[in-house]
Amino acid sequence: MNEALPSVAVATVLLALGLWMMLPRGTTTWRGVGALTTLAALCIFAWLSSHLDPSEEAWLGDAVFFTLAGVTVIAAVCTVTFSNPGYSAIWFGLSLLGTAGLFLFQGAQFLGVATIVVYAGAILVTFLFVLMLAQPKGESAYDRLSWGAGLAALSGAVVVGILVLSILGIFQNPDVASRPRAPFELPELKTEILADQHVAHLGAQLFSKYLVAVEVAGTLLLVALVGAVAIAERIKKPDRGGQSHG
Amino acid sequence: MDELALLQNYLIVGALLFGIGLVGFVSRRNMIVMFLSAEMMLQGVSVSLVAWGRYHNDWGGQMLVILILTVAACEAAIALAVVLSLFHQSGSLDIAIWQHLREDNQPEFIEREVLEPLAPEHQWPKLAPSGIEPEPDLEEIAHRSHV
Repeated sequence: MNEALPSVAVATVLLALGLWMMLPRGTTTWRGVGALTTLAALCIFAWLSSHLDPSEEAWLGDAVFFTLAGVTVIAAVCTVTFSNPGYSAIWFGLSLLGTAGLFLFQGAQFLGVATIVVYAGAILVTFLFVLMLAQPKGESAYDRLSWGAGLAALSGAVVVGILVLSILGIFQNPDVASRPRAPFELPELKTEILADQHVAHLGAQLFSKYLVAVEVAGTLLLVALVGAVAIAERIKKPDRGGQSHG
Repeated sequence: MDELALLQNYLIVGALLFGIGLVGFVSRRNMIVMFLSAEMMLQGVSVSLVAWGRYHNDWGGQMLVILILTVAACEAAIALAVVLSLFHQSGSLDIAIWQHLREDNQPEFIEREVLEPLAPEHQWPKLAPSGIEPEPDLEEIAHRSHV
C-alpha cells in the first residue's frame, strides 16, 4: 500500500473539480472558485514532490525549479480553460517559455532554445495566423461551451493521479530508495550531458549514433511539406473575376 | 535537491502537463485549441524524456525530444492545412459540425444549451457621410500597389 495514496486521491479530486469549474460551460461558471481549487490541487502535488530543505545550500535551485514548474503548469491550465482561443494561444506560449526554462535547468541548452524558436516562434505564430483567418469576431458560442466538461476533467485528473502515484511508487521502492543519493551535478555528468561544449557534443551524437533518425526526420518533413501544400491547394478560393485555382 | 529528486519532480510536471492537455483535447470544441492541447501533451512527454536522459547520463532522451519537435512541426503544418480546408467548407472552427464522421454505434452529440454570440464590447460611433464625394485621383490609382 502506497502511503501517498490519500493525498494523491485528494489532489486528484480537487484537480477534477477545479478543472470542471474552470472549463467554459456556457452561462454557469464559477471560475474563481475553480481557480482556487485547481491551485490547491497543484499545491498538494508540489508538496508531494518537494524536497525543499532550507538548511541545504541548494535552496536557490529548488526555488528556481518550483517557479518554472508553477509557471508552466498554471499557464497550461489557463490555456485549456480560457474561452477566447487567442488568449489560449498566448497562455500556451507562456507555458512553452516555462518548459524551455525547465529544459535549461536540466542542462539541455539546445532544446531550451529550440523549443522557443520552433514552438513559440514558428508553430504558435502559425496557429495565431489561422486563428486570425478563421475566427469570427468576438467569442463564438462553441468556444463558450465544452462537451462533457465533467467527464473530461475527471478522466484527465485520474490519469494524472495514476501517473503521480506510480511515479511516487518507483521512488519509494526500497531498491531505488536505498541507493546512495547522488548529489546534484554528478561528476560523470560533466563528461556527457553537462559537458562544457554542450551543442558540440549533441551534434556529434546526432550525426553519428542517431544519423538514421535524422534522415527519417528529414524525409518526414519533406512528406509533410508536400502533403500540406497538396491539402491547402484544394481549398476553393472565393471567386475574384475568374481567377480560380484547382 | 539531488538527482533522484530532480527526476521525480520533472516526471510529476510532465504528468501534469500531459493530463491537462488531455482534458483540453477531449473537452474543447475549437479545433485550434484542440491542437494546442495535443501539443501540450507532447510537451509533457518531452519534459519526462529530458529528465530520464539526464538521470541515465545518456543523449537518447534529448534526441527523442528533437524528433518530437520535428514531428510537432509536421503535425502543425498538416493540421493547419486541414483546419483551413474544413473552415472553408463549413465557415466555423466548431468540431461538432463534423460529428457525422463518428462511428456508427456512437450516440449523436446534441447541444443542450445554445448560446447567442456575444455582442462586441464597444460600439464606436459612425459619422454619416456628407458633402460631395471627391473626384478620384487617377494618378494615385494608377500607382497604387495591387495585391
